[in-house]
Amino acid sequence: MVNEGEGGPSGGHGGYGGDNNDSDTDGTQSLAFRVMRLCRPTFHVETPLRFDLSDLIVGEDDDDPQSQFRRLLQSQSSTTTDLTYTNRFLLHDDHPSDAMGLPGMLVLPQSFGAIYLGETFCSYISINNSSSFEVRDIVIKAEIQTERQRILLLDTTKTPVETIRAGGRYDFIVEHDVKELGAHTLVCTAQYSDGDAERKYLPQYFKFTVSNPLSVRTKVRVVKETTYLEACLENNTKSNLYMDQVDFEPASNWSAVLLRADSHHSEKSVSASREIFKPPILIKSGGGIHNYLYQLKPLLDESAPMKFEGSNVLGKLQITWRTNLGEPGRLQTQQITGNLITQKEIELKATKVPSVIILEKPFTVCLSLTNLTESKLGPFEVLLSLSDSQEEKSLIGVGLKKMALPQVEAFRSLNFQMNLIPMEAGMQKISGITVFNTTEKKSYDPLPDIEVGLHMFLSCYCWSSNWSNQKHY
Amino acid sequence: MDLQNIVEDQGETLTTTSMNDSTLDHPLNSTSGSLNDICYELSSLQDLACRGSWRSILDKVARARTQSLLSKPHEHLIYLAYNTIALAKLRRFSDAIAELDTLENGIDNVIYSYENYPQHYPNQHGSMAPFALRWLYAELPSRVGNRQETIDRFYTLLHFVREKTKTKTNTNKDSSGMSDDIWRKREGLVINSIISHHLSHKEFVVCLDLIKDLISRDSTPGSRAVLISKLGYVQMQLGDLEGAKTSFGMVEEIVTEEKVEIELKNLVNRNKAMMFMVGKDYVSAVREYQECIDRDDSDVVAINNKALCLMYLRDLSDSIKVLESALERVPTAALNETFVVNLCSMYELAYVNHSDIKKTLSNWIARVAPDDFDTSATRV
Repeated sequence: MVNEGEGGPSGGHGGYGGDNNDSDTDGTQSLAFRVMRLCRPTFHVETPLRFDLSDLIVGEDDDDPQSQFRRLLQSQSSTTTDLTYTNRFLLHDDHPSDAMGLPGMLVLPQSFGAIYLGETFCSYISINNSSSFEVRDIVIKAEIQTERQRILLLDTTKTPVETIRAGGRYDFIVEHDVKELGAHTLVCTAQYSDGDAERKYLPQYFKFTVSNPLSVRTKVRVVKETTYLEACLENNTKSNLYMDQVDFEPASNWSAVLLRADSHHSEKSVSASREIFKPPILIKSGGGIHNYLYQLKPLLDESAPMKFEGSNVLGKLQITWRTNLGEPGRLQTQQITGNLITQKEIELKATKVPSVIILEKPFTVCLSLTNLTESKLGPFEVLLSLSDSQEEKSLIGVGLKKMALPQVEAFRSLNFQMNLIPMEAGMQKISGITVFNTTEKKSYDPLPDIEVGLHMFLSCYCWSSNWSNQKHY
Repeated sequence: MDLQNIVEDQGETLTTTSMNDSTLDHPLNSTSGSLNDICYELSSLQDLACRGSWRSILDKVARARTQSLLSKPHEHLIYLAYNTIALAKLRRFSDAIAELDTLENGIDNVIYSYENYPQHYPNQHGSMAPFALRWLYAELPSRVGNRQETIDRFYTLLHFVREKTKTKTNTNKDSSGMSDDIWRKREGLVINSIISHHLSHKEFVVCLDLIKDLISRDSTPGSRAVLISKLGYVQMQLGDLEGAKTSFGMVEEIVTEEKVEIELKNLVNRNKAMMFMVGKDYVSAVREYQECIDRDDSDVVAINNKALCLMYLRDLSDSIKVLESALERVPTAALNETFVVNLCSMYELAYVNHSDIKKTLSNWIARVAPDDFDTSATRV
């Protein structure tokens, strides 16, 4: 049986035997390494060819339990000390789930399989003395050799194994967390004195390749004040991956919350069963994907305001998955970066808008300009900019087109007013206000539209006759 | 086939049934006369099946057919069932399918109903075909590589069984009113078969849903405990260890409530052992399995899994001993393909020249094993 999957030891069955580098050895070897990858076992599954006696010897519609045949069958007692192979033929009457074919027996891994970054490589190594003589003073070494480094897993140089008798063995188990991609070689070497007291050297090499199990693709979107991080995990392995934990660890200036979809109504089952029936996040093998959505908010620390002009590190993803019988794998992504943020230096807000605004009559909006930096800014010019659009402006300014504002101290606000006239009824936005820093000669990005959401623009013509007693502000 | 012949045939049957002395102790033989009342030499057929002597069954069926030893229509169907199963057991799946195809126009043909032979079956109604034939019809395509056909047929069969259950519940007038029980049991059987197919293909999420459905049906505490344990195994297999732990906890609750048989006590210990194993605490797992073996030395699941734990504890020699000794002590329980596959894997690791020892094992198996034992398990 040849081993499947990428790499895998050459020679022998999947996981066993190895490559003998004969050029380094002279004559015959008394010892030989036998290697078996010791990933976790799996449950044996099959559809059993087993039957219920009553399904076999009476007609299917002969189902009246009072019938002669049924009573006969019921009188058959199931034996416990059965010396035949009845258990291979008949289903256990009390356990209908026997037909599921999952008896709970474990099977050893039958091939080397594929190995992925983030997993733990575990191997049983047995050094056999197949000669008819005892061997002595055995120095055993096991190492993993990659493109970049050589990692020692076992070394008995300081305490050599005294002896292995003829036909005997010395066993050990090695483990190594796989942290590199590409070609790996498990190098097993033994130095020993054979039956003729000759010092021999035995090297054996077992090659395997490590692949990347997951592809992580991220998208960052900014909606108003909130940053959203969408992570798409794609499974490049040959088995389904159970996502045990996928945590986003934000950088120090961010906080993150995982957004979950509302659960489907069918998942909201009876409380007792709810715990065991939480549907697992299982990403299918060979290209299956699962998406995660995180909501990130900047942590505003008053004492240490953000200085990261242009900095965009959001954090990283820590991923733990499991395969059969909980075999774990762990990976961390590199730092995920968001879009380049230009640090806001100023903020413009409407602080007061009249509750009733009459069409074609001027009204006053109170605005506040806040300096978000730690140094003085300004002086400024505030303009209600000309619209580029074809539409007629719904609001026009009254009075000076440009308003001059003095310098604003660090972290302080300046209040000022603008007079506007509404030209259209209904909900309107105050937009296109530009702030220009006359000292630095730069314009700040057009500031977000100020919605005058709760306020209504009324047409005085419609209402005046009915509302003669109302006051209009 | 007229009535007179049948009476004579029955007389012959009672005197010429061939049975060896050793089968007299077999529990089915205590009412062997009754089994043979159902069908010609049925107890012998049944005995051969329990011994795994499937080749003998093929011979017996062939002889009965060529020598026209079967007198009643339903006997032909029963022999057909045993023959199909024998062929399937011997892994001659295409032949088994061909055998089933000899049913004229399928199993629902009216010629396979009792009403079609009023002279033989004066008061019986409905289909005389054993339900096993329907099951085989669904299962066999997957054995010749047509898995999708099997899945489709099983879901169709499930629908059929559910319709039957509804009909029986509606038309049931007698006080015992339990005929729908048998169909409910069959519904469970079909669902379990479907789950096994999805499991083989690692379609775990479907399996979880189907097992959830099964658990919600009425069943005895013992069978519920076994079923929920299997849910735990599926959860473990896909990696959901927390889910498995919860499932095993539910099993423990069920089992402590009931006056427990050894079988269920062992189930709880084995589940505990699995939790230790996935936590890599192999020493505790071995201890749990040993408790099972001390109670029941033919608990092959415990023996097999204990051997694997020993291996993960670097004790390859003892793991081999555990498996070998079980094969010697309780061969009919221990001799299954999984056991042998594991033992051979251990041999391949322990011995550079492992073909000798595997050959010895292979020879022993040839002497002791039933006809349907898959000898490719030894990889010799």
